[in-house]
Amino acid sequence: MSENVTTAVFEQWVRGFADLIAANREHLTELDAAIGDADHGSNMDRGMKAAVAALDESRPPTAGALLTKVGMTLVSTVGGASGPLFGTFFMRMGGSLGATAETVSAGDVAAALRAGLGGIVDRGKAAPGDKTMYDALAPAVEALEAALTDQATLATGLKAARDAAAAGRDATTPMLARKGRASYLGERSVGHQDPGAASVALLLDAAADAAS
Amino acid sequence: MTESTSANAPATDAERRVGLIVVSHSRALALAAVTLAGEMLHGRPLTIEVAAGLDDTTFGTDAVSIMQAIERADSPAGVVVLMDLGSAVLSAELALDLLQDSSIRDRVTLSPAPLVEGLIVAAVAAAGGASREEVAAEARNAVMGKAAHLSTPEPGVAPEPEDQAQAAIVGVFPVANPHGLHARPAARLVSEVRALDASVQLRNLTTGAGPVPAASLSRVATLTALHGHEVEVRATGPQAQEAVEHVLALAKRRFDEPPEQVSAPPAPPRPTPSRSGPLAASPGIAVGPVRRLAAEPVDPALHPAGEPAQEWRRVLASVAAVRREIEHVRVLTERELGPDQASIFDAHLSLLTDTELLGDVKARIRPGTGAVAAWAGSLAEVERQWAELPDPYLRERAADVRAVGEQVLQALTGQPARRMTGEGVLVASDLTPAETAGLDLALVTGVVLAQGSPTSHAAILARARDIPVVVAAGPEVLGIPEGRTILLDGATGALHLDPAPELIEEYQRRAAEAAEQRVRQVALADHPAVSRDGTRILVAANLGSVSDARAALAAGADGAGLVRTEFLFLDRTAAPDINEQQDQYDSIAEAMEGRRITLRTLDVGGDKPLPYLPMPPEANPFLGQRGIRLSLRNRDLLRDQMAAICHTARHSPTSIMLPMVSTPDELIEARQVLVEAAGSSGLPAGLHIGTMIEVPSAALKIEALLPYVDFVSIGTNDLTQYTLAAERGNGAVAALSDALDPGVLRLIDHVCRAASGRVDVAVCGEAASDELAIPILVGLGVRELSVSPPAVARVKAAIRQLDVEHCASLAGQALTLPGATDVRKLVLATMAETQGDAESGTRTGSGVATG
Repeated sequence: MSENVTTAVFEQWVRGFADLIAANREHLTELDAAIGDADHGSNMDRGMKAAVAALDESRPPTAGALLTKVGMTLVSTVGGASGPLFGTFFMRMGGSLGATAETVSAGDVAAALRAGLGGIVDRGKAAPGDKTMYDALAPAVEALEAALTDQATLATGLKAARDAAAAGRDATTPMLARKGRASYLGERSVGHQDPGAASVALLLDAAADAAS
Repeated sequence: MTESTSANAPATDAERRVGLIVVSHSRALALAAVTLAGEMLHGRPLTIEVAAGLDDTTFGTDAVSIMQAIERADSPAGVVVLMDLGSAVLSAELALDLLQDSSIRDRVTLSPAPLVEGLIVAAVAAAGGASREEVAAEARNAVMGKAAHLSTPEPGVAPEPEDQAQAAIVGVFPVANPHGLHARPAARLVSEVRALDASVQLRNLTTGAGPVPAASLSRVATLTALHGHEVEVRATGPQAQEAVEHVLALAKRRFDEPPEQVSAPPAPPRPTPSRSGPLAASPGIAVGPVRRLAAEPVDPALHPAGEPAQEWRRVLASVAAVRREIEHVRVLTERELGPDQASIFDAHLSLLTDTELLGDVKARIRPGTGAVAAWAGSLAEVERQWAELPDPYLRERAADVRAVGEQVLQALTGQPARRMTGEGVLVASDLTPAETAGLDLALVTGVVLAQGSPTSHAAILARARDIPVVVAAGPEVLGIPEGRTILLDGATGALHLDPAPELIEEYQRRAAEAAEQRVRQVALADHPAVSRDGTRILVAANLGSVSDARAALAAGADGAGLVRTEFLFLDRTAAPDINEQQDQYDSIAEAMEGRRITLRTLDVGGDKPLPYLPMPPEANPFLGQRGIRLSLRNRDLLRDQMAAICHTARHSPTSIMLPMVSTPDELIEARQVLVEAAGSSGLPAGLHIGTMIEVPSAALKIEALLPYVDFVSIGTNDLTQYTLAAERGNGAVAALSDALDPGVLRLIDHVCRAASGRVDVAVCGEAASDELAIPILVGLGVRELSVSPPAVARVKAAIRQLDVEHCASLAGQALTLPGATDVRKLVLATMAETQGDAESGTRTGSGVATG
């Protein structure tokens, strides 16, 4: 199984993610209004629009460089905690793929996502069950790795990852927030979906679409 | 994206200071906070960079901007980053990862302090020249005053009991430290817990003690958690999980106690040398039981209570002052001896930021108790709790509590209240000049200081008072239990703990010999000091008061080579007028019975600002406006002083000496002022005008200065520290700051050669009474030595053993050597060689002197 994932696929993923964020901007902001400072949707939308504009200006030739560029753009334009978190996620993915590597295998993609997840843990110091984006991303990465171990294609693996992310996102609803501003609400954070996890679900949606 | 706000910056000045970065979601907030902090700076330069908001109105933080701000603010002094919350913290951490130059990263501290309070405190500390560690520590404690004011039992979360039941995270750790959770590990735990947004309680499961708040050092100690005890950690709040994990991880690392302290009991009592010590500081031999300085008992009744709010402010101000003092010592100790030695001060600092303790003090003040009584009461309570602990090691730590508590009491009462605990050898970390001056000669036989340098003011005063002193002995000496016998030789720096009787005898024999010698010397002190080959060297005295003048005359001084007129100007709100000065100068002249007195004009600088002589704060007062520089900017003051000196000069032999001169222009201008001051009667006939040589450039271009003076006097203390760029009060470089460094000697040689046959050269620094320096100075051509009064007899005796021609060749050799140690070895070797001759020389010398 030696499929090469082209840079165009990654570009499509980023653009698709930007579209989904734009479409769900109000929804994400509403989620954040319940347990945060009601800016997650607009912050992510601003950041992803800037990322797309950066790609419009010049598209790096390799997947690694492209993801690093997206990450750097996000850290400067999102503004909220999602900036450094999503920014680190993309930059670590870019670093994992390497700025110059011209071919990317499905295994490389899984390894890059695993590296991105590691970046989020390092940056946000989130643990499972803290009601954060980690709770959606970690099961997604595991699902992709499991699928690839079973000889699935990247497209199939990312569909499994998308479903796992959605399930992870839904699982954040009954959790008690222990990170970020939501944690200030204590018990009152229970019963609301975590907006960061919701964005991650969109991210995996876009990935599954791009790879299919 | 980023605003650069340099509050009044000459960039070069600012670069020596720690740079600050303000990271906030809101640019408006950040700029306002910077303005607020700027009000505290009073024009002192400081770099504060702002990385806040995505633009003027959009909230958000940007890791790239923060990284750039760090790069702009970076200097060798480092950078402290203050942040608001959430993404500001994450973006700042990311910014560190983004830095290309990893060496910058090592100079950056991300501060957990609250943004506004932290920034203001950090700005004040940084502008004052504090190190990065100090700035960060100040910022970290910034919220303490507010927390204590509001009597919140703890910073962070005040847990409701039901909350605790709901979301508590619980862990258990066994105490692995051999001495249990004593002050140092407890301080480590407390500081770790305080950095987190969580409320943490500890319980000793083995004994059932507790629960106590983990953020309170005094309470943690009461758990008496000994080696092997199980301690439960229960945390609530947003970072409860992290708090428990951190505490458990810390416990596993034995709270970072260094291994040697883990395996051995504290402070092994052995006076081993520190990096540059122990150093001899004041000659003489002393043996006796170790004694300490303890505070005079303060009687709260003597300090009646004012308004509770006012009393509370006094407590906060005193605590803050002591905290700064301890932090300063801590940084010095860390620099000199490493972080392990410095960690004891963390325990002291924790006590001063203990909201539990401060809350208790405040509660006592509220019903009308005075600050002194309230502090004493709360402290006694904490001390009692510690003293009751069953573990003997922990019990001893009650001394730490007492030491810090007394420091605050001292600050509150304004008394330099430390007094020796009995007769014997005083062992202390350092002494202030006031404390040295106040030592009871009936009690003190000698002094051993952990810090300090042989040229510190404390050492100078001790020499003047004939108290044997050894300095820079290292903090180990502070661990010697009181009452153990210690022997010190202030001439060699030797220290012996529990000396054998034979050793004491040996030293006592030497002391007796020295005393006899001294008697012989004093008997001859009134006579001129003439070398074996017939050269007369004047031995004058350095004075700082009229009573010094009487002592100097009694000691046989040939004159007053340096009268420090500062004594007239310090500690008062207005300058002394001409009459007052005249009276004092006349009294000194009278006490000296016709011998020449050399009055140095006011020699102060930014380190000792006078209330009536306003001057802007300087980053480095020793390189700033001081001495003649300051006098020429305050010509009225100088003119008055010169007028008073002229008056005295009309009836007694008087010289006027100008300090800190570096150019001929200064001499010319000062002479103009002198002419104005002398008035219509003109300059007094016998008045000599001279300059001090303290600035290396003045020594190097002495030829340009000579036309304007009748004499020069080399201030070897300042000349040495300016030449070697080593501050004499800094124990870490005390060994460098030696006037016998050939670099300094070459400057003196140059001055003597240029002055030869034109004007006399005197030396009025510490080197003038250093027996190894005297032959070199005389050999170079110095013909007057001005020393502290008790040294006059000894210096005269030393001169009588010299052969000037031989000294000249010795000095010539010294100039070619690489360092001061080599020069000292050379002189010692020569002295040993000529000892036989010297013995007979003494007799010959006496013959000449009496004959």
